[in-house]
Amino acid sequence: MATQLDKTNLLNAYRTMKQIREFEERVHVEFATGDIPGFVHLYAGEEAVATGVCMHLNQRDKIASTHRGHGHCIAKGVDIDAMMAEIYGKRTGSCGGKGGSMHIADISKGMMGANGIVGAGPPLICGAALAAKFKGDQGVGVAFFGDGASNQGTTFESLNLSMVWKLPVLFGAENNGYAESTGVKFNVPTANISDRAAGFGMPGITVDGNDFFAVYEAAGEAIKRARAGGGPTLLECKTNRFFGHFEGDAMTYRAKGEVKDLRERCDALKIFSTQVTSRGLLSQEEMTTIDSEVKAAIDKAVALAKAAPNPTAADLLTDVYIAY
Amino acid sequence: MEGTCERESVVGILANPESGRDIRRLVANATVFQVAEKSNMVMRVLLGLAAAGVSRAVMMPDKGGIAARVIQACDLHRTVSSRPLPELTFIDMPIQCSSQDSLQATRLMQDMGATVLVVLGGDGTHRLVAKVCGQTPLVTLSTGTNNCFPEFREATIAGMAAGLVATGAVLKREVCRTNKALLVEMNGHPIDLALVDLCVTDDPCIGARALWTTQNLKELFVTFAGADAIGLSAIAGQLYPVDRSEAYGLHLTLAPPDGLLTEVMAPIAPGLLLPVAVSAIEQIRPGKTIALATTTGTIALDGEREISFGSSDRLQVSLTMEGPLTIDVGAVMAEAAKYGCFAHHYCPALATLMLREVPAPAPFHTK
Repeated sequence: MATQLDKTNLLNAYRTMKQIREFEERVHVEFATGDIPGFVHLYAGEEAVATGVCMHLNQRDKIASTHRGHGHCIAKGVDIDAMMAEIYGKRTGSCGGKGGSMHIADISKGMMGANGIVGAGPPLICGAALAAKFKGDQGVGVAFFGDGASNQGTTFESLNLSMVWKLPVLFGAENNGYAESTGVKFNVPTANISDRAAGFGMPGITVDGNDFFAVYEAAGEAIKRARAGGGPTLLECKTNRFFGHFEGDAMTYRAKGEVKDLRERCDALKIFSTQVTSRGLLSQEEMTTIDSEVKAAIDKAVALAKAAPNPTAADLLTDVYIAY
Repeated sequence: MEGTCERESVVGILANPESGRDIRRLVANATVFQVAEKSNMVMRVLLGLAAAGVSRAVMMPDKGGIAARVIQACDLHRTVSSRPLPELTFIDMPIQCSSQDSLQATRLMQDMGATVLVVLGGDGTHRLVAKVCGQTPLVTLSTGTNNCFPEFREATIAGMAAGLVATGAVLKREVCRTNKALLVEMNGHPIDLALVDLCVTDDPCIGARALWTTQNLKELFVTFAGADAIGLSAIAGQLYPVDRSEAYGLHLTLAPPDGLLTEVMAPIAPGLLLPVAVSAIEQIRPGKTIALATTTGTIALDGEREISFGSSDRLQVSLTMEGPLTIDVGAVMAEAAKYGCFAHHYCPALATLMLREVPAPAPFHTK
């Protein structure tokens, strides 16, 4: 199986998941102070998905993200100082502070952008994958999208087009159980989002999105197949989000104690830690060291972001048009 | 064979929309069984049950569309047809949207008096049901990935057979088979079972559960192994076929192919044929306990990694002849035909008189 990861890879996987968790927990705290402009949608709870998928990607590969995109950025290697500054709307941000949380992008890392429009990622990634196919560089594209976006016409059109053109795409459905405040069983008529793949003649599979190893194995096979010209795959990862749809969401649609229960039973980091320590693959000390390093890195990112300058009026007219 | 009883007959139907979506749809060419077809199968089971005189059926609830479609189909049936259906009740239970729902529903169906369970699924689903079904016999219908334990059957006939046993029209003892099972003990405690195969790997994590490569396979236990089997038991079936009725199973020691050991090209998943080397085969008899030679890794039960173990764990496997009861649908229907269960104005003597010998066709000559 694909789970014969060496120690370096296991440590990298843990570091990435921990960075995502720490980043999001800190944004949650900082947003409450009122210093962060706009909306933020936090990815905490879903770390195993972005990490398990993006560990198979290189900088040539592209990802298209969602409004809940911080985790995808970190897993794809976007600098966390630039990310935090972007969320604070600062000039040192990855998009000069003009994008904010919902439009973080770093093309140099293959991160095509978070996206405020639900279901906008799948068509974009089809374009990126078509380019990779024409260039013959074995690049692949990954579109992350949620259970809400799985109902969008753009997603269906992308599933269709990618099969017609046999594009090297992984459609990563992050089913966290809620489309904003609507439970998935109220708007998805099938047991699994992956059930829909059959209608396009595409392989569709469902894995436990809280289990890094399950995601890593499945994504690895799908990406290997895409690179080899086998076409797209729909991979559904059933997962959970630990915060509301957006920061400030009172979550009245969730049962009392639901999040607490999820944090106890379905925490991707706890599950990973138990798996690797019980089998002697990593030690608790090694992970504790990473915890400290990550915390220090996030502290630094926040401090830098707060101290960074705001964009100026002169910045308003830059980055608006591009010359081909 | 005996007449239809007056007591109320209750049949349980297990159909879980969550099953059958594992990675073998990607790495192999495993079947995609849609919810719509599972719903159709349930309707055909219900109509078969009604034909056999079953008055009540209980079904597991779900949020994936099977229950909703069955309710709609029953309503439509009652509108357009005068043929009766059993009274259908859905179990009142919390739905977890996982395979655990099958387990919970099996327990509750027995509490509700179900005397026969009709199970739609593959080896994995039947394994879960077998863990808690006790002496309640199963009618198995294949809808899963690797299907050795359940049968490929038309659901209508399965419903008719289930109904005949549930009503007592056909005696359970005449048409039931007790299956074998493999029991796993960890550190002295029984923890799980497998109905067809139990495979030990040195892979440390459960991951995406299914097995689709062979380099990490270390040991294989089977209850039975057909030469025509699909799945891991095919490794044994290609070398040493064992029937379901034999009073033994097999334990194989596996290795990566090295050009020296006996090598088998086995269909370990639909469309996925891979070479596996076998260094030893031994028969295992009921009561004999075998300690695993592998010290760390995972155990796959009926095709999916379920148990992770380390060097401090002591794992043992044994064979039991006291696995779940299954109903031989063919035998039930043969009994039904013999006694005219579905015939009207019928007596066996009349059937014999009605038989006419068909004349042999004239020889065909060519010039």
